Amino acid sequence: MSAEKSPVPNLEQYQTKFNLKEILYWLQRFQSILGLIVVVILASILCVRNGENLFLDPINLANIVRSVSENGIIAIGMTLVILIGGIDLSVGAILGLTATAAADLMMNKDLGMVFTLFIVLLMGALIGWLNGLVVTKLSIQSFIVTLATMSIARGIARFWSGGIGVPITYGEEANLAPSAFSFFAERVYGVPVPAIIFILLAIIFFTVLKFTRFGRYVYAIGGNETAGHLSGLKVDRIKILVFVICGLLSAFAGIIHAAQLSQGSPNDGNGYELNAIAAVAIGGTSLMGGIGTIFGTIVGVLILGVLDNMLGLLNVNSNLQMVVKGTIIIVAVVLQKANSNK
Amino acid sequence: MSNGRIEVRKWLFLSFALLLSLMLGACSDSSENTSSTANSGSGGEEKKEFLIGMSQANLGEPWRVAMNDQIQAAADEHPELKVVFADAAQDNSKQIADVENFIQQKVDLLIISPNEAKPLTAVVKKAYDAGIPVIVLDRKVEGDAYTQYIGGDNKLIGKKAGEYVAKVLGEKGGRVVEIKGLEGSTPQQERHDGFLEGISSNPNVKVIASQNADWLRDKAITVMENILQANKDINVVYGHNDPAAEGAYIAAKNSGREKEMIFIGIDGLPTPDGGLKAVMEGRLSATYIYPTGGKEAIESAIKILLDKEEVEKTVILDTIEVTKDNAEQVYKQFGGK
Repeated sequence: MSAEKSPVPNLEQYQTKFNLKEILYWLQRFQSILGLIVVVILASILCVRNGENLFLDPINLANIVRSVSENGIIAIGMTLVILIGGIDLSVGAILGLTATAAADLMMNKDLGMVFTLFIVLLMGALIGWLNGLVVTKLSIQSFIVTLATMSIARGIARFWSGGIGVPITYGEEANLAPSAFSFFAERVYGVPVPAIIFILLAIIFFTVLKFTRFGRYVYAIGGNETAGHLSGLKVDRIKILVFVICGLLSAFAGIIHAAQLSQGSPNDGNGYELNAIAAVAIGGTSLMGGIGTIFGTIVGVLILGVLDNMLGLLNVNSNLQMVVKGTIIIVAVVLQKANSNK
Repeated sequence: MSNGRIEVRKWLFLSFALLLSLMLGACSDSSENTSSTANSGSGGEEKKEFLIGMSQANLGEPWRVAMNDQIQAAADEHPELKVVFADAAQDNSKQIADVENFIQQKVDLLIISPNEAKPLTAVVKKAYDAGIPVIVLDRKVEGDAYTQYIGGDNKLIGKKAGEYVAKVLGEKGGRVVEIKGLEGSTPQQERHDGFLEGISSNPNVKVIASQNADWLRDKAITVMENILQANKDINVVYGHNDPAAEGAYIAAKNSGREKEMIFIGIDGLPTPDGGLKAVMEGRLSATYIYPTGGKEAIESAIKILLDKEEVEKTVILDTIEVTKDNAEQVYKQFGGK
């Protein structure tokens, strides 16, 4: 400490530096929302025809939310799995299997809607349970395990229906589906039912992750599994539960999918796992585990949906659409890397 | 550390710049349209340009590439028509989104070849009910919420193929393998039913295997390989389209068994990799011209949009049976080089 220095330090300079740093901090913390805002603004500006704004039309926005609902529901489950440091590649296959099963049970086996939904959701939960069990008890990486169950679920789906789609026709007689099932394809006050289900599930799991003990355990295990173990957490049980939830949510998405298309096809859901992972990554969840939020995932899901919609409304070549999407994902993940390097 | 952040921000701006330029590139395409189109809001003013949305099922099929090309070629002759294409790549959900986007853009007319009938019926009805004229090509939707359907008579083609097989196999009869199209698409069902009707005249002709290859050549190769393994005695392979028959041929050739059986396809495109060439070169025994209806769709569009006329609900296109005898002549007739 030099005696020549002024006893009262100049605080002015520190004040501005602090503000700049703080701004940057919040910018990067909420990068996903910023990304969504940027994409929405872009879409609103570009998607205009004959003076009408195609993008900001309520019908279009409803279409967007409907088309992202399936991915969104799966992404909620995927968030949980990635938070504990795992990954689930079987979600798309589970969707295909449950969609096919739901269609077949209602149409050909003539089971009522409630019974069908119960069995189908149980199927998803069981596959999730299988995933969790093998990952924890046999200590095999979730990537490999879920890759295998992806194949198994897909195979079961194809075998179940002979490889072809099962159409769903509504009616009262035997061998027709109960018309109540079409509820999943309808709109309530203009809002598509799948969107309502997606939002409800998002709120539920947002609350679970943020405010319950289970949520805290999930973050703890993801952050440092050994520490979690040493703290007395039942790591295995929590991990299994997470995989069960993911399977369950994928089954739910499968039910909605079948209702939307009026058919259950065993080949549907191909690649859905990648869309879900992309949404989760764009939303700010680290693929290493421990960092991320449901809110971020929802934003990620919406960014992908708005992008798809914007490119569609602009009639961009379908192949270019894939290029654009991939670019966005890289940008988003690079941003996260910078964030976590702090 | 702050260096890293600057690095990242550089990348970020670069990527968004790239993105923006892509957007503007695509946008300039449609903004040309926006500026030259008369404002549809102002009452009674005549439209100078019409936007037609074409929702294709799967450009992975060469026949559908030909369909889009023929639509584009026919539209090029009418400067008032602008056609934009969307490809669903065999994904029903994507095709639903494609049609919704067209509805959102308030296209003046929708041409659609639906991937599968059931999943696409609701959204096509939405377009129709919104006042957009709908022309359905090749594959049908359920119900009748569309302006016009243009397609070949798939049942008749299947029947002709069946009758050809019954005739060629003669009294001794034989064993037939069927390589089917995508299960939920109507041409598949009709070509299957028609074929069974066609061979019914000859009780010694039996279909010993029938599998879906979804109209795709690579799937047909795999499917045929399995069938070849399981069946040592095959006389005829009936593919629901030329790529399926060609795929089966490739599988048979790989096992050295292609000379044991004859191959029949449907489509008859006059392209270098099409069915007509395949018949001329001896790989296929017969094929059936299946017109795409692209040209007819644009002709109907002109009638509906410019002449404001009514059009017939159903237009059935003719077919021609092509064998070695007439392949060359038909090839030249349809513009093959």
